[in-house]
Amino acid sequence: MSWSGRVFESVGKVGAFSARVLMDAFRPPFEIAQLSRQLAEVGNKSIALIVVSGFALGAVMTLHTRNTLVTFGAAAMIPAVQAVSFFVEIGPLVAGLLLAGRVGSGIGAVLANMRASEQIDAIESLSIDSFKFLVVPRVLACVIALPLLTLFMDFAGLLGGFLSEALASRISPELYLNRAFENLQWSNFIAPTLKTAVFGFIIGSVSSYFGFTTNKGAKGVGEAATNSVVIASLLIIVADVLLIKCIFFLFPDTAI
Amino acid sequence: MTISPNIAVQFKNVTKAFGEKRVLNDVSLHLEQGQVLCLLGRSGTGKSVTLKIIMALMRPDSGEVWVDHENLAGLSERGLSAVRKKLGYLFQDAALFDSLTLYENLALPLKRLTNKSKEEIDDKIHHVLLAVGLGSDSAKYPSALSGGMRKRAGLARALVLDPKILLADEPSSGLDRITASEIDELLLRCKEQHGTALIVVTHDVHGTRRIADRVAVLDRGDLVAFGSVEEVAQSENDVARRLIAE
Amino acid sequence: MPGRYLAVGIFIVAGLSLFVLGIFLVGNRHEAFSQHVLLYSDFTDLDGLTKGSKVRVAGMDAGQVTQIHVPDSPTSRFRVQMRINEQLHGLVRTDSIVTIDTEGVVGETFLSIHSGSPGSPIAPPDSILQSKPPIAISDLMTHGLGVMDDADATLKLLGGKLNTSLDGVNVAVQNANDVLVGLKEGKGPAGMLLRDEKMADQIRDTMTNVQSTTSSLKQAASRMNGIVKDIQERQLPEKIDGTMTQVRAASTEANSTMQLVHQSLNQALGPDIDGVTAAQNISETLTNVNAATGNMAEDTEAIKHNFFFKGFFSRRGYYSLSSISPGQYRRNKLFVNANGRRSWFTSDALFQPGVHGTEELSAGGRQTIDAAIASYGDAVFQHPIIIEGYSDAGGPADQLARSYNRAFLVRTYLEARFPFVAKNVGVMPLSSTPPPGLNHDHWSGVCISVTEKK
Ligand SMILES: Nc1ncnc2c1ncn2[C@@H]1O[C@H](COP(=O)(O)OP(=O)(O)O)[C@@H](O)[C@H]1O
Ligand SMILES: [Mg+2]
Repeated sequence: MSWSGRVFESVGKVGAFSARVLMDAFRPPFEIAQLSRQLAEVGNKSIALIVVSGFALGAVMTLHTRNTLVTFGAAAMIPAVQAVSFFVEIGPLVAGLLLAGRVGSGIGAVLANMRASEQIDAIESLSIDSFKFLVVPRVLACVIALPLLTLFMDFAGLLGGFLSEALASRISPELYLNRAFENLQWSNFIAPTLKTAVFGFIIGSVSSYFGFTTNKGAKGVGEAATNSVVIASLLIIVADVLLIKCIFFLFPDTAI
Repeated sequence: MTISPNIAVQFKNVTKAFGEKRVLNDVSLHLEQGQVLCLLGRSGTGKSVTLKIIMALMRPDSGEVWVDHENLAGLSERGLSAVRKKLGYLFQDAALFDSLTLYENLALPLKRLTNKSKEEIDDKIHHVLLAVGLGSDSAKYPSALSGGMRKRAGLARALVLDPKILLADEPSSGLDRITASEIDELLLRCKEQHGTALIVVTHDVHGTRRIADRVAVLDRGDLVAFGSVEEVAQSENDVARRLIAE
Repeated sequence: MPGRYLAVGIFIVAGLSLFVLGIFLVGNRHEAFSQHVLLYSDFTDLDGLTKGSKVRVAGMDAGQVTQIHVPDSPTSRFRVQMRINEQLHGLVRTDSIVTIDTEGVVGETFLSIHSGSPGSPIAPPDSILQSKPPIAISDLMTHGLGVMDDADATLKLLGGKLNTSLDGVNVAVQNANDVLVGLKEGKGPAGMLLRDEKMADQIRDTMTNVQSTTSSLKQAASRMNGIVKDIQERQLPEKIDGTMTQVRAASTEANSTMQLVHQSLNQALGPDIDGVTAAQNISETLTNVNAATGNMAEDTEAIKHNFFFKGFFSRRGYYSLSSISPGQYRRNKLFVNANGRRSWFTSDALFQPGVHGTEELSAGGRQTIDAAIASYGDAVFQHPIIIEGYSDAGGPADQLARSYNRAFLVRTYLEARFPFVAKNVGVMPLSSTPPPGLNHDHWSGVCISVTEKK
């Protein structure tokens, strides 16, 4: 089969796989215990990564924008620039990419390993729907956890920005907060935060697809992990463009 | 071929291929309740596939598979579930769930497929683990177990539902002789105490001679010999004779 | 595993709390939960103002632009709806002015509602506030040096014209003097006028006016030279366009004034059979000169008021109240001082209708002012004097223009007649509303206020 034919075939397979996730997510039985286990795996274990990178990124952002803004006499806009950029784009996108790296590779590798070591067959042999048992909770966990992690990222970034700015100009926390949220509207807080649920769905279903459908034994494990991260990250960035367009369409005020 | 009403598993002209590659080619065999069938063959000849077809993890391309008087092809998901409850499966590499402790590995089938109470489940798990010699390891994760322990743990999970038919994929391969014969003892005890029918995939000639009531030999998808140990030892097929030779 | 559920629970609760916190912080800024008032204003040019732009009342964030109604023809204006916080509503009066401002050079555009005068009622909800067109900084920048060259040329031209005009005036005044001397000696057909003492006084008066005009023109010329020099030194790339038009107008006005002077004097000096008519001619034409020179001086004053030259004049010591709005003046404790001495004059007592539909000082009015100044004694020349103009005729703009004109006429008269230091005398147009606390709620005319230093 030609190269492009294979690409289209993969797109079709991933699409069908995602559709199955969506359908199974709303059909009982619901694997609540599995969901909670995966939430702990995806959410709790990513908090440290997200908070630390958000904080560092926030501090670095301020260091970079500060000079330019001060040159234009817009030092008062530093908190607003920080808040708008984090809440609208940096927080959602970076949290999505970090989670694609940490969780996407994890899901891909774990499921591929379960396939290779016949654990998925073992589950099926218990008359448990392995798709519902393994895939749906992982995807749902990503969908639920990513918006929450994005909020952690946003506020950590703001904190980093504040500390960085406070060291430079001794700004008070109240003034910083006031100025930070001065230019934020509900639509540039809620919509970008919720759009990460779509990122979460992409991470969960793409990496589950690569892990769940591999049949190359042990060497498929590494491959599934790599593919999961690469394709999920790529799709997140592409989806971001489309989602931003959708948000502009739904909330024309947020378009600059 | 006469078929006794006591048949546990029967293959009728089963064929299975993956793409171009034929893994089972017109295979017919059967096993009576309370007997042990040893399945021999070189690597990659379709032994594991045979077990998975019995477990309804794979469907044959053609032919019929009867398990405990039920034709698998005609069963719904619920019917399959009922059949699977009567089966125990020891996977080739044990296939224990990495993220669960030994206890949880054994509890999962009980929780999912029976209505047993917590106490009954605890009790059952305790007994099965004692029987396979892992009584003190129930809190361990599979990664903390040695190869022999994993095999025995897998066997414990296969036995936890008191199956009528036990499928064991290479239960003793890769183990020292003493451990291997311990596992053979366990399998025999199942047969003798519970009347379980066993299909054991193995490369161990000694084990086969000790436990097998019947032997089937697969070679490149064909069933080249099927009968008692003696019959197979005198088979016309060269591969079958060499596999069973001591 | 209860431990796992606990951890997941904490994660979810913490995340949701951040969400609620975010919603609160964002919502808090937009005061979604407080009371609002809707107000409107019209603009020809929005200068980038959009829905959602901030609205400030007296510099404090008060709300946002909620709607912009686009006009369907170029002659009508954008109707801007703004929503402001109820708490700041008290600062918005019916005379509040709305402007479109920009934060810094690159900042965003916002609406500024300037707080009105305390005397005016609070602007009712849904009312339309007056607007002032925005000052486009970009315009100033693009004009740059072109404007500079233009300004330079115009000012040079103006300076030249003023100097020639002054020469003309000097000659004219000389001629007028000669006539008077001739009259005194009983020569010519107007000799009979000598017997009329009153007429002689009037002629003397008007001659004084001509002289004061001369000095005023001299002043104007030196100011122009100063401006030219100043602009050349500072290379200001700022908006001089408006100023230039005014300067040009002033220069044309000066020209026509001079023509008027020449014409009048020529007429007066020309041969005439009837002596009485000649005397009336002189008196009439000299009145014309007065009116015309009043216009001239007014134009120079207009230049002084232009924001661009404000700093220039005050640095040169011309005291100007133009930087203070009437509203600020009314509230200013320094100017509005119960201890200060005030003389209130009604419009009837001071003014009479003039030639071009404007007003001018009547003879009686001059005497009234003289009497008032005399009553202050010598000390009046050391204190700052503010001449407040009042008028209650016509709309708000008419009132403002008229009250300004009245104050201005009085000031011109005072400066010409008495040795006031120019920087000590200021004018303040107050429409019809005097500052509070002076027992005058409403006035039409002039009030001279002497501010005593404590
Ligand atoms: N799910 C599968 N997809 C494709 N090929 C498979 C699959 N499972 C087994 N096979 C192929 O079938 C053949 C028989 O496999 P198997 O039964 O596992 O061998 P063994 O007899 O060693 O247990 C092998 O060549 C294997 O590659
Ligand atoms: Mg095998």
